[in-house]
Amino acid sequence: MTAHWALRKALGPVLLLVAGWVVLDNSDPKTVSILIVALYYAAAATSFNFLLGQLGVFSLCQNLFMAVGGFTAVYLFNNHGVSPWLALPLAIAISGCLALPIALATVRAGAGPILAALITLIIAQAAVPVIISQGWLGGASGMYEKAGSGNDWGALQFVEPASFGKLLLVVNIILIAFMMWWSASRFGYYARATKDAPEASEAVGIPTASLRVWIFVIAAMMATPVGLLYAQYNLLATADLYLGTTPLFQVVIVALVGGAAASWGPIAGGLVIAYLSQFAGQLGGSRPGVTPLAFAVAFFLLAVLMPRGLSGTWAQLRDWWTRGRSAAAAPGSPAEPAGRADENVTREIAVEGARHGSGR
Amino acid sequence: MHLFTQVVITGLLSGAVLSLIGIGFTLVLGVARIANFAHGGFVGLGMYAAYWGQREYDISPYVLVPVALVVLIVVGWAVADLFEWRGSRTGEIGELLVGLSLLLLIDGALELKFGTEPKTLVTNALGSVGVAGLRISGSELLAAAMALAVGVLLFAFIRYSRWGRALSAVAQNPEAAGLYGVPVPFARRASVILSIVIAGLTGLIIAPFSIATPDAGATFLISAFAVVILGGVGNTLGALVAGLMIGLVEAIAAGYLPQEWAPLAPLAIILTYLLIRPVKGVA
Repeated sequence: MTAHWALRKALGPVLLLVAGWVVLDNSDPKTVSILIVALYYAAAATSFNFLLGQLGVFSLCQNLFMAVGGFTAVYLFNNHGVSPWLALPLAIAISGCLALPIALATVRAGAGPILAALITLIIAQAAVPVIISQGWLGGASGMYEKAGSGNDWGALQFVEPASFGKLLLVVNIILIAFMMWWSASRFGYYARATKDAPEASEAVGIPTASLRVWIFVIAAMMATPVGLLYAQYNLLATADLYLGTTPLFQVVIVALVGGAAASWGPIAGGLVIAYLSQFAGQLGGSRPGVTPLAFAVAFFLLAVLMPRGLSGTWAQLRDWWTRGRSAAAAPGSPAEPAGRADENVTREIAVEGARHGSGR
Repeated sequence: MHLFTQVVITGLLSGAVLSLIGIGFTLVLGVARIANFAHGGFVGLGMYAAYWGQREYDISPYVLVPVALVVLIVVGWAVADLFEWRGSRTGEIGELLVGLSLLLLIDGALELKFGTEPKTLVTNALGSVGVAGLRISGSELLAAAMALAVGVLLFAFIRYSRWGRALSAVAQNPEAAGLYGVPVPFARRASVILSIVIAGLTGLIIAPFSIATPDAGATFLISAFAVVILGGVGNTLGALVAGLMIGLVEAIAAGYLPQEWAPLAPLAIILTYLLIRPVKGVA
């Protein structure tokens, strides 16, 4: 990691921060509320993408760690007058501890994307009745935070919603920067090696099992501040706010629509989904069912037409563009080295043969 | 003792429903390696079909079974094709995405057609019996019998029949199965269709004693997940046993544990099981 590399990589997040800041400062309240939702889901989806990208683990319990952030902050503020800033490290530590057994269970189960999705969804959903049954967490109605008057940085309460937007923007930038650093660090290389060739990684001395567990725990910790900020924005922490079916799947939808191919994917996904929901809401008006159906149709079309997400599709288009230009520059030359192409063809033949069966 | 008997009966009956939902899901996950997120949605569709049949034409859900069977096979075929097409290009993640979007599509369509209010069916077509001071409806007994029959028959089919062994081979190693002449795409398609048929029929059968809501699909999906985790992927007999176990644990916890601890019991069982014996199922 050279200074030039760091400078080049930092340019994108810094530009995003400046642009987001300007937009949040100069937008009407309706746009700001849409942007807050987009940034909230984008940050949550980044923690999801971190796990999916590094380990191929499809986790559906990131919302549980967001709930830990929200509940810890509201509980400590209401009952002990503790500032959410001080509650944040405690919430992160609680999430880490909670993530540890879940990570162990997921890793021990072999944790392909499907099995991990099953385990983590069950845990997230089983947590709902547990939270609701605890009176000290506010039961089914959750906990409303005691609201002050005016802007209070210590209590993380603001009259202007744009302040929450800016905080969420900063959290997004920090998470993106962390992911960039991680990918370029030796931990990132270890993680990718573990994902692609676990046996070979173990043979060269990479502690694959503990690395998997640690990545799971880090992803949980990444989600916690996002949930805390959302509770402060709503002055509320309820099981439904974080772990209802809609918010649970929304994080996954934003992550998958954005794609895991680039760190800006979740922000793009968050913006598309937030505006899509807004559009579906306008389309539906007051008639029940139109809004969720319009959203579902749009998501279905995205899932079918752009399964790699926005960033994946962009990467694919860029790849085609580059190949096209290379081919135009040197007609007749192969777009890829012959060996790799041959390997691809062999693999495709094998897979196609197996898919169709030798009897056909 | 009387309370315990009642708790066990209640647990077994609710567990049978969980088993039914889980059996189809474990089949498609085991054979086609597809986590069909829309599985619970098809159970919800079945329930609303029963409600619609009674409201519009005053017919029992059991009369709808033959028609539902045909519709479910056609729908299942289309969904299987969609999974096959998407999966061949983008793998597991693409399939998860398609399943998730189908679930949302079904939930949205049900909400548009029937609204958000919970719907219940008023029928006593199969009567009821009294056991240990409990009144059990014939519909609940039918659902329990169906769970038992489907679980055992599918297990026997996969274990002992030629076609079943072909499905098993596809589940274990699709490439090798293909090289031995098993039509892999057909096997995958068949498992998707079969699981959707089981899910839809389960919805019809459980409608008389269940409450239908548009988002019921997600709830059923989660039940199916729990059953598969405990019963083992692809193991239909394991799903039957796991469903009954979860139902029993839930009922015993609700009957004997303090209210705030009861919801923890199934989670504790599943997590402990995963930490102790993570790879294979209970059966």
